[in-house]
Amino acid sequence: MLMEVKNQFKISFLSVKYALMREMLNKTTFITNVLFMILNNASFIVQWIVLFSLKDNVGGYTFDQVMLLWGISAGTYGVSHFFFSNSYHLSELINNGKLDSFLVQPKNVLLSVITTDVTTSALGDIIYGYLMVLIFGLTPLNLLLFTVFSILGGITLTCISIILNSLSFWFSKTDVIADTGNNMMTNFANYPDGIFKGGIKLMFFTILPVAFVNHIPVQLLTKFNLGLFLIVVLVTIIFIILAFTIFYKGLKRYSSSNLMVARI
Amino acid sequence: MAIIEVKNLSKTFKVKLKEKGLKGSLKSIIKPKYKSVKAVKNISFEVEKGEMIAFIGPNGAGKSTTIKMLTGILYPDKGDIKVMGIDPKKERKKLAYEIGTVFGQKEQLWTHLTPYDNFKFFGAIYDIPESRVEKKIAELAMLFELDEFINTPVRNLSLGQRIRCEIVASLIHEPKVLFLDEPTIGLDPVVKENIRTLIKRMNKEYKTTVFLTSHDVGDIEKLCKRVIIINNGGIVLDDSMENLKYHYLNKKIVEAKMRERVNLEDEDGITILKDKGYNLKIEVDLEKRSVSDAIKLLNPDNIVDINISNTPLENIISDIYKNENKDDE
Repeated sequence: MLMEVKNQFKISFLSVKYALMREMLNKTTFITNVLFMILNNASFIVQWIVLFSLKDNVGGYTFDQVMLLWGISAGTYGVSHFFFSNSYHLSELINNGKLDSFLVQPKNVLLSVITTDVTTSALGDIIYGYLMVLIFGLTPLNLLLFTVFSILGGITLTCISIILNSLSFWFSKTDVIADTGNNMMTNFANYPDGIFKGGIKLMFFTILPVAFVNHIPVQLLTKFNLGLFLIVVLVTIIFIILAFTIFYKGLKRYSSSNLMVARI
Repeated sequence: MAIIEVKNLSKTFKVKLKEKGLKGSLKSIIKPKYKSVKAVKNISFEVEKGEMIAFIGPNGAGKSTTIKMLTGILYPDKGDIKVMGIDPKKERKKLAYEIGTVFGQKEQLWTHLTPYDNFKFFGAIYDIPESRVEKKIAELAMLFELDEFINTPVRNLSLGQRIRCEIVASLIHEPKVLFLDEPTIGLDPVVKENIRTLIKRMNKEYKTTVFLTSHDVGDIEKLCKRVIIINNGGIVLDDSMENLKYHYLNKKIVEAKMRERVNLEDEDGITILKDKGYNLKIEVDLEKRSVSDAIKLLNPDNIVDINISNTPLENIISDIYKNENKDDE
């Protein structure tokens, strides 16, 4: 069992490594993709500088906390889109019958599929996330916590995408639903939770779990609390179980196809 | 014991029906209509260890669906499958260690990596220790003559070289059964021949059972001793290649160059295939008339040149396809 898990991780890392090597074939595109993502994220700092020149805090967050929030959302987004990039294209893969080659391998289909591609610009997001922690909240514990939260949040984001994209097993084209859901997760991630009230806030703790991916981690970076930390871990585990259950339930309905495809 | 056992296997797909035009699209949103397409209907067969079997049929006959159910890609609706005693539906991963698959139309290799790196990746997928993988790669590279390009990125290889690499990649883990779905599609005759020889060599060397689908009669004729023909989701023929030829080879083709024109139009047992003045091509039905009889009709003194041949296997097979369709109508 342990050996099986170890081998599975080995394959997933190899897949990510090979996919990264493919992206690096074109050096200029690779470097500009990464750099421009960092610049793109940084450009939003201006609007927050303007806002904080008018007010001391926004929704209960100081300027430094807002920057950490951006760091966390960039980190989680980066981890999800870099390591599990294909979880965002699952719907297309399901509809076009591109899961065949993964189904004949003695490995976990879901993990093999989602780790077989990378989005290079997401590396820029990860780097940007670390920059934010380095500038606005550097302590050794925070660096470690930031890494843990980026991984946990990245996994949760991936699971949400898997769940939404897996609907394609039942309703064919659901990429729009999946894209909308994924976009909502990123859009809400960049604002302090204090500015939201009522129903929306309830959503943050349920169907759009931004609270567990972004807001609580920022709180914990400011002041650590073991109980809250464990809740974040628990929520991630729940989403992993949900994603796997739904994907594998759907996989039984997979209908393949005879399209000509190449792995490029 | 049979290595592949299939009993009463069925698979139905639900297909959405849509009337033409925008109006039809709107209608299908409000009140969608579905049609059940029975891709595979209640088929049963067995394959013995070490056999090379051709599983053929026209497009849409249910070949790929069957192969996909045998390899664990698709879930069957009904019926039992056992490949080496393993049920693909229940133990997909366990089965994957025992079988190899090559889909001529789908590529499994990473194109930016060299075949060598790809093979090592496949070795890791099947949890094979490093040293054993290297040994296996060396062995297969020799068998499939890959040495020349084993360190060239796959995207720079020709189609024939790629297919050879695809086959090798599927053999790294020493599968007992190899599923080949149109392995020679898009290849030129020389490369096709070369691939066939290599597959034959592999079958001899490792006793690998080969389950082959192909539209290329050459593949079937040169590789397989047994044929299963599937059409409209059902098996229409399951026989040895020899029997197939024997039963269906009751016709001969006679091509003759004549000195004078001959009229054979009303002769029983003779079908004129081509009549270009002095060049004549006829088909002789041996149940009604012997070849020597037909030659007598042509008048031996009148013949400049003559060529007598069997009906090509291709025609035999397409006749079976057509007859089956006729029966259905």
